[in-house]
Amino acid sequence: MAGSAPLDGVHMAILSKRLEGVCRKMANTLFRTGRSGVLNTARDFSCCIVTADNQLLASAESLPIHVLSGPDLMAAAMQKFHPVLKRGDAFLHNSPYHGCSHPADHTILVPVMDDDGGHRFTMIAKAHQADCGNSLPTTYMGGARDVYQEGALIFPAVQVQENYRDVEDIIRMCRMRIRVPEQWWGDYLAEIGAARIGERELMALAGEVGWDTLDCFAEHWLNYSERRMAAQISLLPAGQITVSSTHDPFPGAEEGVEVKVKLAIDPVSGMIEVDLRDNPDCLPCGLNLSEACSRTAAMVGVYNSIEHTVVPNAGSFRRIRVLLRENCVVGIPRHPTSCSVATTNVADHVSNGVQRAIAELAEGAGMAEVGYAIPPSVGVISGFNPDSADPFVNQVFLGFGAGAASPVADSWVTVGHVGNAGLCYQDSVEVDEQVFPISVKCRNFIPDSGGAGRYRGGNGMRVEFGPEGCDLEVGYVSDGTINAANGVRGGRKGGRAEQYIRRVNGECEIAEACAQVLLRDGESIVSISCGGGGFGSPLERPAAQVAHDLREKWISNEAADSIYGVVIGPGGKVDEVLSANMRAKMGGESKEAPR
Amino acid sequence: MRFAVDTGGTFTDLVVEDDNGEVRMYKASTTPTDPVAGVLDTLALAAEDYGVSRSDLLARGDMLIHGTTHAINAIVTGNTARTAFLTTRGHPDVLVLREGGRIEPFNFTVPYPQPYVPRSLTYEVVERIMYNGEVREALDEKEVVETIAQLKKAKVEAVAVCLLWSIVNPAHEIRVGELLEEHLPGVPYTLSHVLNPSLREYRRASSAAIDASLKPLMGAYMGGLESRLRDAGFDGRVLVVTTQGGAMDAADMAQSPIHSINSGPAMAPLAGRAYAQADSGADTAIIADTGGTTFDVSLVRGGRIPWTRETWIGQPYRGHMTGFPAVDVKSIGAGGGSIAWVDEGGLLHIGPQSAGAVPGPVCYGKGGTEPTVTDASVVLGWIDPDFFLGGAMSLDREAAAKAIQSQVGDKLGFGLHEAAAAILSVATENMVHAIEDITVNQGIDPRGAVLIGGGGAAGLNVTAIARRLGCERAIIPDVAAALSAAGALMSDLRAEFSGTLYTQTAGFETERVNELLARLESQCQEFIAGPGADSIEQIIEFTAEARYPSQIWEIEVPLRGNRVASDQDVADLRDDFHSTHQEIFAIADNKSEVEVVGWRANVRCRLRDGVEWTVKEAVASDIEVPEHREAYFEGSGLVDARVLRFEDMARGEEVTGPAIIESSFTTVVVDPGASAVRRDSGSLVINPAAEG
Repeated sequence: MAGSAPLDGVHMAILSKRLEGVCRKMANTLFRTGRSGVLNTARDFSCCIVTADNQLLASAESLPIHVLSGPDLMAAAMQKFHPVLKRGDAFLHNSPYHGCSHPADHTILVPVMDDDGGHRFTMIAKAHQADCGNSLPTTYMGGARDVYQEGALIFPAVQVQENYRDVEDIIRMCRMRIRVPEQWWGDYLAEIGAARIGERELMALAGEVGWDTLDCFAEHWLNYSERRMAAQISLLPAGQITVSSTHDPFPGAEEGVEVKVKLAIDPVSGMIEVDLRDNPDCLPCGLNLSEACSRTAAMVGVYNSIEHTVVPNAGSFRRIRVLLRENCVVGIPRHPTSCSVATTNVADHVSNGVQRAIAELAEGAGMAEVGYAIPPSVGVISGFNPDSADPFVNQVFLGFGAGAASPVADSWVTVGHVGNAGLCYQDSVEVDEQVFPISVKCRNFIPDSGGAGRYRGGNGMRVEFGPEGCDLEVGYVSDGTINAANGVRGGRKGGRAEQYIRRVNGECEIAEACAQVLLRDGESIVSISCGGGGFGSPLERPAAQVAHDLREKWISNEAADSIYGVVIGPGGKVDEVLSANMRAKMGGESKEAPR
Repeated sequence: MRFAVDTGGTFTDLVVEDDNGEVRMYKASTTPTDPVAGVLDTLALAAEDYGVSRSDLLARGDMLIHGTTHAINAIVTGNTARTAFLTTRGHPDVLVLREGGRIEPFNFTVPYPQPYVPRSLTYEVVERIMYNGEVREALDEKEVVETIAQLKKAKVEAVAVCLLWSIVNPAHEIRVGELLEEHLPGVPYTLSHVLNPSLREYRRASSAAIDASLKPLMGAYMGGLESRLRDAGFDGRVLVVTTQGGAMDAADMAQSPIHSINSGPAMAPLAGRAYAQADSGADTAIIADTGGTTFDVSLVRGGRIPWTRETWIGQPYRGHMTGFPAVDVKSIGAGGGSIAWVDEGGLLHIGPQSAGAVPGPVCYGKGGTEPTVTDASVVLGWIDPDFFLGGAMSLDREAAAKAIQSQVGDKLGFGLHEAAAAILSVATENMVHAIEDITVNQGIDPRGAVLIGGGGAAGLNVTAIARRLGCERAIIPDVAAALSAAGALMSDLRAEFSGTLYTQTAGFETERVNELLARLESQCQEFIAGPGADSIEQIIEFTAEARYPSQIWEIEVPLRGNRVASDQDVADLRDDFHSTHQEIFAIADNKSEVEVVGWRANVRCRLRDGVEWTVKEAVASDIEVPEHREAYFEGSGLVDARVLRFEDMARGEEVTGPAIIESSFTTVVVDPGASAVRRDSGSLVINPAAEG
């Protein structure tokens, strides 16, 4: 392939696969070598390539909330603060005021330079840390009044390597302020390794095809992606709708946070517009979204709603207009607003609002709401190991369900929360009990907690765990205790979250939804996580599937009867006649009742 | 005389090796309803060729090694036994939850997979053992007996038992097994700690569930295979190839049938390793096996065949894990039948949809309308429409051309040949992508490897793939068309024993570790004295599954000896871990201590001497084939390519591209600029001579 050759559909396909391969190599390194659970289990990281003019070109499969918008903003900040870039440089970036998602997401940016010192691309590896120096041992400071109370060290694109060698000052600072520094160091190595592998591979590719061909590819690839996005939007009906989705009351947000999503589809110009400006100002707590998360959360809802083969990159982004305002809880925060939990709680209401809005406007598109996070079963645990007295802090992933139903399929049960998309692994009980001084009493799905519908939402999970021979702190920010995940087009809500502390005498106390709880030896925490919303009327779900759901204990007999209108006779067989009559009767009633 | 029979989806391949090392190949159609019939059919073909009766031929055999897809087919088609799953109380959803994870984050058209055993056949057992083996809650035997009564009522045909921490203290699992024997006699069961004593309850439970579900079926199949071979006159040993690329007596396989799941593709790298060594002295090879619908890639690294710890039935995260390491084989939907299509943005895609055997490519004339890789190869002049399968089938070039022009060429603004060449280019890229995927995971640089082509369609783009990867040599062995069966002949008797014991290099638990290693070694010795009694050579190798503190994914590090006794041994283990980590991930934390989680011992018993093979070639039909024909290559356009018969090429004969070398089973394309030479081994060795 000569440098000047025009790029056709064949060469584009080939080069796109090769860049995808580069990102995959980066991601493989991070996943397999990361030390903290949030990396090596939850896959809470992303690897991508950004062009010299800061457009997202290619990324490995990553948690959606991590990667759509943010890399572009961070690469721009790097260029602004460091106008002269050199080969061997690397920058540490976690500032939510300069493009990062939230301070727990330490990001390594490596500028890829040609032999003439020209900046060609930026390799980005971003990874959620087990600890980032917050005032409490958790990376989710839901109640922090501002970034000072939050406590994280903030690095706005700070140089951390020169000539491929660490800037030891920065490393020492981190070692002094981040809990369990060896774990942080291991994760830092994993991120640097990923970014450097990406750099090496991209330079090898450029050596083969030439930098100009790669530039030419970038232009064509983004245009191609834009064309596909426009073509998909043109298939949707024109329309405009405002939906709202409400986060539960939390410290600093005592009234809860009602997120209003104003969405418009314009098939003629091939654009979708998401207006988030009519929302509350920033709040004195950690729920505020960073700019990266505001943009990305809106986009996640769009990509979840359309044909999945459209490539999410800066080309297809051109067809989504996200309108934000400064100092808005779902907008652009001003320093020192805290954005500690920007990637999950309120962000999920933006994504869910968008996909529900699209479902209401366009038949066969959109999705119901995914259940809300972060329950104690996915909290950050910390304490001192009773044998060695060594401290530990780590996020566990003991179980969540919560998937939303789509217009064509039941939920992917273990989606977790909408920004995660189910990419997170779930811990092995045996691995957790080996690594931490805890025991897991139970974890199981809860019947009837998945939103009923033509397509069923994912069930929630009950998980109970506690310390073994020591005290244990558990930090979590459990939304969905009051406001459950909504269904759409007649689909029902998913189950609500709940959390309890079981004392030594066996009695249970209700725990706060946003808390850092202390468990004594012999106590345990009971975590009930959210279910996801259903899609379409439950009365339209084929009776045989309802019988299957009942047999498999996803739903109860009562739900089969009173929600799905299906009568199951002896031997688990559907009574077709009785069911048809009952469904006709219930259908008549539900038409009169408001949705 | 030895036989190797590989039963595939479409064909059953037989390779016969006589006592002088002469090898002959045969192919017959597979009979899906009765695979043993296909085995006997190929043996009848062989008998005819040797000019003896089938019973006389079989009477000469010492050994028959069988690769079978019977188990995997039963799983895919849902024809396994009705199986119950017994689990620790409070943890009923082990098989539902699996380990989480998902692919294609924006694709919500795929529903969540059903658990391997339904929730309605999952039963909780009152008991709890802790990580250190302490019994926190005693086994409630009375309740287990009541559960067994329910199993009977539910007409369960097999039972899988997996309790938490049974790998540390198996007492409860053992007792449940005894109660099953007593109260549910005749129903086969699998205990997780016996089958797969490894950490992580999902993987162990999944192993047990899959294994139990196969026991009734595979017990009957193995019994039937053996007795029908005996009835037909065979008096030798019947072995079955395992997922781990070894062989095991058929009767033993019936006891743990999970090991037969990937029996077929696991053999190709054995043959690949032998040919890489023989034809180029290389100890690192990539084996690319191209069939009609799939492209299977496997590897040889430093003379060893690497394994993957994570083996899925079906797609990752959408299927089930077997919980066992297996020969690392990656399969993608890219074969001769893969369909070419252009999306609305103007991008060309190949597959993953396949035209399959029915309707097949457009050129088959059996109703296929979508252009495939095979159609493109016909249009390019690479495949001779009159000499397909040695002339057994003639192809419709015009129909193929029409489909490619209208469905690909017109949409891309390409002429016919350009469009067909583009189809091959993208197919090549998909295959390269699959190869990179597996080589990246195993830390191999493809540029230092030789590429071995196997399967009917391998030769079409083997030169192009070698160029793209930067391989210096590509090899098409003369047994390429039956590479897996040939590999089976080279397989060793194999077994693996493992144990869980957590320790760190700082404060290394020398005594307990060596106790465990000694136990594993005596298990290996027992195997050598039993099934391995007649073998020529026996090798035991130990590996540690290790990681850095607070990593959770282990990597395998071979031990230098049989024990880790001295401080130096521990230091060596730590150093070996650092260098393996560096090799795979490009980083190492050299100052860090290392955690070891599990220990494995592998025993191999070699069954055959390194006899040189001579392949007796089947003579293709007597169709006259012109010595030249027009063929199209990207960059060269339409050129006059030399055409040769594979079997007519003398040893040492060299051809330079453009050339096409054909046999009844395969077509090898030598691109312009490349050259090929027939080696003494019978293999065709291609020098891709890539100029970039």
